Amino acid sequence: MAADQTLWKRLRSDPSGVAGLVIVALFLLLALGVWFGIIGQDWAAAAGGRWEPAGPRFWFGTNVLGQDIFERSVYSVRTAFEIGLVVAILSTLLGAILGALAGWYAHGWVDGTVLWLKGVLDSIPFYLFVAAVAYALQGEAWAMHLAMIATFWTGTGRLVRAEVMKIRTREFILSARSIGLPDALILVRHVLPNTLHILLVQGSLTFIAAIKTEVILSFLGLGIQHGVSWGLMLAESTQEVLAGQFNNFLAASLMLFALLMGFNLLADALQDALDPRQVAR
Amino acid sequence: MPRVMRTVWQALLLILGVTFVSFLLMVWFGPDQTYTLIGKNASAEQIAELRHELGYDRPFLARYADFLVDLSTLDLGASNSSGERVSRLLARSTPITLALMLPGFLLGNLLGVALGLAAAQRRGQWTDRLISGLSVVGMSISFLVIIIALQVLLSTPYGLNLFPVRGWQVSDLPSYLLYVTVPTIALLLVTLGYNTRFYRAVFVEEIGKDHIRTAQAFGTAPAVILWKHVLKNSLVPIITRVLFSIPLVVISGSLLIETYFGVPGIGKVTFEAITNGDQPVLKAVVALTAVAFVLIQLAADILYRLVDPRLA
Repeated sequence: MAADQTLWKRLRSDPSGVAGLVIVALFLLLALGVWFGIIGQDWAAAAGGRWEPAGPRFWFGTNVLGQDIFERSVYSVRTAFEIGLVVAILSTLLGAILGALAGWYAHGWVDGTVLWLKGVLDSIPFYLFVAAVAYALQGEAWAMHLAMIATFWTGTGRLVRAEVMKIRTREFILSARSIGLPDALILVRHVLPNTLHILLVQGSLTFIAAIKTEVILSFLGLGIQHGVSWGLMLAESTQEVLAGQFNNFLAASLMLFALLMGFNLLADALQDALDPRQVAR
Repeated sequence: MPRVMRTVWQALLLILGVTFVSFLLMVWFGPDQTYTLIGKNASAEQIAELRHELGYDRPFLARYADFLVDLSTLDLGASNSSGERVSRLLARSTPITLALMLPGFLLGNLLGVALGLAAAQRRGQWTDRLISGLSVVGMSISFLVIIIALQVLLSTPYGLNLFPVRGWQVSDLPSYLLYVTVPTIALLLVTLGYNTRFYRAVFVEEIGKDHIRTAQAFGTAPAVILWKHVLKNSLVPIITRVLFSIPLVVISGSLLIETYFGVPGIGKVTFEAITNGDQPVLKAVVALTAVAFVLIQLAADILYRLVDPRLA
């Protein structure tokens, strides 16, 4: 498809975008490696002594329980991708559907309801909302994911709504309506595909937000319940750094920073490459 | 309906919404409080009496109405864990949170405006590229990482060891500065990247408008253009940004900062309520902050219309 080729060409000519893509691809490889059981499987075993220094046996040393920090930080890539992908895909989808409905029926009751829902969710401070959801679900492991999906769609919804309000007055939509296509079909086949550029950028931004949020929630005890994540490693490290042990902190924060930086660069490049105002020029 | 009336009506609907969500999550679907509150070996009558007191035998809408009445009369009950009245608890901890969070919040926005302006004025030059690049770096660092790193660098023997590691023993200005500095720098650093990027985009758009070019063509002094035309016209997005970042930065931020540094503000109160499942505290904090935020938005909305004739 022509549009895809332009996107690829534009992305390739943007060095920081390429850097972002490479970083994200490397992390995805790590995550796949963990999923297929090739690397990072010994994250739970207490294989060494307390706070062993970095060396050939433990590349990043060990934590207070003698667990291999390298294994844990690599396994956490998988955790990060699971949270990022689940939250990004589902909340972007939700934002696309609700935003498209609101924009298509703009100023009607559907629109009013969606805007009201968005206003309500945006008015409850996010971490308090997560706390409330976690409280209602009593330690359910998916409370964090659910809370993020339920709130992160609002930004995407607002952008999609504005875009759909523009699209619905265009001629190809008028002609689709005049030959009697049902609204649902027009929305799915002709309107939503034209919002893909928004969804792609918003998806990457939501991925970033989800990973950053997991870190804070895990520290507060509202996040990951089973397994290991950079957030849990950082939470462990808050005690260790006061004893002068920085391996856990450095491993988790540097990996986290690299992935976030990669995604931020990629999201920026996508935004530039997909900006319709630039295509028109 | 006049515009202002409609704004007030919409705010009312939002308040109904946020209180309803709080009620659903924490009262209706929340865990049964009976056995948290009642002693061991309670008789069936005692249990039934407590359940009646808690309203568990009443229908859904009646319980929601009770919840609304309790909130609006600030009759919030007592904390399950300490027994302290929730209204007193909030009155005690809110000023501490404001004293802790305000300096960093304000500095983060002021510096963000300054850096955004500096970048927008030199768009495409190396200053702009440096500022924009550093904003992306700032956006990629986790709040928790910033806090831990600053604590090590400024408050431990492994760094400069200038400030207390944690706590809040504030009695006068020097002690206030001693305890507020590290959290302030942390809050500043975590918001600066996002703020700078946002304000840069606002200023770039404003500077690109025709009336700025006209002013330049008429030979208006750059300082006048900057203050009168660029900054003044950008006030609405700036104020909106500041207001809308309150829930995330001040309230959610205090949850993390106060928990980490052991400051007895509203964030720590909330954290303890989360860990203990302290329903009266939790539902008061969630519902009241959300309602307060809706009221702030309403006030801002009315203010805009008074100040800016374009919106009236």
